[in-house]
Amino acid sequence: MTDLIRTVQQQPWSLWWIQFRRFARIEIRRNLITKRAWWIYFLAFVPAVIIFIHLIVDRHQPSSMTEDTNILAGIVQLYYVRLGVFFGCLGIFSRLIRGEMIERSLHYYLLSPVRREVILLAKFFAGSVSAVVLFGVALTFDFVLMYIGYGGAGQDFMLHGAGPGQFEAYLLIMVLACLGYGSLFLMLSLMFRNPMPGALLLWGWEAINPVMPSLLQKFSVASYLRHLMPVSVPAEGIFALLTVETEPVAAWVAVIGLLALIAVVLIYCCIRMRRLEIRYTTD
Amino acid sequence: MSVFQHEYRPYEGPTTPLWKRPVVLARYGLAEAWGSKITIGLAVLALLPCLVELVLMYLADNPLAKMLVVGNSKVLEINERFFFNLLEVQSWFALVLAAWIAPRLVSFDLGDNAMPILLSHPISRFGYVLGKFIALVLSLSYVTWIPLLLLFVYQCYASPVPWAVGHLGVAFGLFTGALVWIVVLSLVCLAVSSWVKWRVVATGAIFAVVFVPAGVGGMVSAILRTRWGFLLNVPVVMSELWMRLLGVPPFGNPMFWFPNIAIVSVLVVTSLLCVAVLNARIRAREVVRG
Amino acid sequence: MSAAIETIRFENVSKFYGEVLGVNRITLTLSPGITTLVGPNGSGKTTLMNLMTGLVQPSRGKISVLGLEPSNATEFFCNVGYCAQFDSFPRGLTGFQFVLDSLMLFGMSEEDAHALAVEALERVQLDAAAAHRNIAGYSKGMRQKIRLAQAIAHHPRVLVLDEPLNGLDPMARAESLALFQELGRQGMHVVISSHILDEVDRVSDRVVLITGGYLIAQGNIHEVRQEVRDKPMQLLIRCDKPDLLASKMFAVNHCVEARLHADGAGIFLRTGDVDQFYKILNEIAIEGAVKIEAVAPFDDNANAIYQYLIGSDGSAV
Repeated sequence: MTDLIRTVQQQPWSLWWIQFRRFARIEIRRNLITKRAWWIYFLAFVPAVIIFIHLIVDRHQPSSMTEDTNILAGIVQLYYVRLGVFFGCLGIFSRLIRGEMIERSLHYYLLSPVRREVILLAKFFAGSVSAVVLFGVALTFDFVLMYIGYGGAGQDFMLHGAGPGQFEAYLLIMVLACLGYGSLFLMLSLMFRNPMPGALLLWGWEAINPVMPSLLQKFSVASYLRHLMPVSVPAEGIFALLTVETEPVAAWVAVIGLLALIAVVLIYCCIRMRRLEIRYTTD
Repeated sequence: MSVFQHEYRPYEGPTTPLWKRPVVLARYGLAEAWGSKITIGLAVLALLPCLVELVLMYLADNPLAKMLVVGNSKVLEINERFFFNLLEVQSWFALVLAAWIAPRLVSFDLGDNAMPILLSHPISRFGYVLGKFIALVLSLSYVTWIPLLLLFVYQCYASPVPWAVGHLGVAFGLFTGALVWIVVLSLVCLAVSSWVKWRVVATGAIFAVVFVPAGVGGMVSAILRTRWGFLLNVPVVMSELWMRLLGVPPFGNPMFWFPNIAIVSVLVVTSLLCVAVLNARIRAREVVRG
Repeated sequence: MSAAIETIRFENVSKFYGEVLGVNRITLTLSPGITTLVGPNGSGKTTLMNLMTGLVQPSRGKISVLGLEPSNATEFFCNVGYCAQFDSFPRGLTGFQFVLDSLMLFGMSEEDAHALAVEALERVQLDAAAAHRNIAGYSKGMRQKIRLAQAIAHHPRVLVLDEPLNGLDPMARAESLALFQELGRQGMHVVISSHILDEVDRVSDRVVLITGGYLIAQGNIHEVRQEVRDKPMQLLIRCDKPDLLASKMFAVNHCVEARLHADGAGIFLRTGDVDQFYKILNEIAIEGAVKIEAVAPFDDNANAIYQYLIGSDGSAV
């Protein structure tokens, strides 16, 4: 045990930390600040644009604030978690490793004096920051634009009423969704030459997960997020499948459960990364 | 005079007629599409619902078997709604198959910068797209109108004559409805594949292009309190079209009951957008991105 | 200092890509200087280089470079630079950014990284204006140069170069070869694979011939040529009476071919026994009938060895 501690202490942690930061900086520059990411901006900000139109053209009757609260909850649960964040993260995180292999540029990183685990975690961190910043900012716009039209009542709701709690919950959902889907897509891109069939199966799995046995529900990002929703979304038909709360779980259990799932996935990704070979001709 | 000029003779034999050249591309496209085991797997999977429906038809048309298995239940009534449901199921399979096949047809050529080489052959850009389009439409026909019409023919054979006479419109609806869907779908898939360039990403992008506008449409309808946002939901629009083509009485959410002109406009605009994208992307040039 | 930490070692290394053989049972030790990997397309040169740098892992055997293994990335890649043949780069970068970014990952300060990047670009003679343009707009030769700059920027002790002369014009090729020679003289390991045998022949200290994944020969070019005893050796003798020399040489039965030089002041002779040949040549020189000005082996170069050992069609003979 003492040997293990000594070995851990002897590792060049400060160098790894510097490399991690620099790698992440390079990746964020390439992920976030690029014209090619326009479609992710679109996915993130399209609700804000629609809500902005609503702000301009609709008369905000005080009675419709509850309805708007339900609509915002629906946007988070049905649009962001199921479509926007899902496809956005699919684009961002699949590109991190598989995209570099397709572009035949991954070898430059594998030939740098950086441990492969550090490369992987830095890439994951950069992808997460990109996704969280984009979707977090978009959500903030959505929230503010949705209630600002109600004047004083809207401001009161946002600053003192149930608003702050709901906003925090939505933000937490967004962060966890980005991390959860991000880790899974990173894993799929390390496992398969074409991660898309796997990703689309995951999409289907996330949809049918509520009707699965309790144990299988643990292997789903959306099932954890569902327990964190501050407002239950009234949905009918097939959409009810996406919003139904199955077994009630405390919020902290859901958060820790999802973080544990992410940790397990990342550890597996590190193992895959160590064994990764550059064979572009077969990709 | 150089040796080259002495001995070189240009090819003077017969050449493929202009109108046949896209068919050559279609043939290679089909070989490329069906060379994947996943394509075969998906195609087999797509026929399973048809097999189930075939069994149901048999039961419905065989009074003794029907009595033994389901009693007098109305579940087994073979009518417009029955074929409508089957068309919906098969159209989802067509989407999955198209999302898998289309990137194989186009993205390889674009990803490897092969377009200048391909278009340096005596084939036009239109011919290139037409060839790929034919390959995709033929592949999708295999899971849509072909099995559906075969099932219809079986039903005509197995049921009393008045059924066939009374439901001839269903055959027309099945063929036209499926054809409209696979034509629009093929254009969308080819356009997305040519835009995205990477095969790996194109499959995901095709699903995103179908479902994200549906989600956006849902938001527009919810936030702006209007039903017109649902026009962005192509699956919903197609369902409405099929209902009318097959003569199914309206059911479901009344907010989806759009006028015919709106449905046709959505499909035409979508197709035109796809053609514009194809026109912009399928060019004999190497795109160098910084 | 043990030999292991000064050499590159392959110990019974095999690599299979599924059922396809990459390289098989390669045992090899490379000391400092310039080593050229020679072999036809698909012979396993790139696989050998990728194995050396950890881009692929051996199916069997062990590789160490200066006593280090690629799994220890931090130390390994401080000592190794690899200019791979993949003609692609991370998107959206200028040449300078590309070199700078890779240096920043070493953990050095930004000033040091900047200085090293400038130095590397100067060494490969890529001008500053070009270095600050986007790589996507570079010519093939410029891309080759920027890859080389990135590989040498951190002053590695081992430099692995996969087809480094591809795409370079004759001037740039000569400059690159001069750079490799200079690095080799400084005691660096320079491992080059190239098809341009005439040019690498002039700079390399040893050749490694591989074909079909198997090691065929290795060592100094002259030594390797000496060992290819079944192929008569060709020599060029500059003299005043080449026809007389030819007639004297044909009197002994190990001389198998003679051909006059185009300028008439020399003769190419092909012999199956070099030792005997030199002995007789000495005797002729002493006799004084023929005035011999120079004697030089004519086919102990990488090109000839390639032809003899691998064959013009790329198959081992």
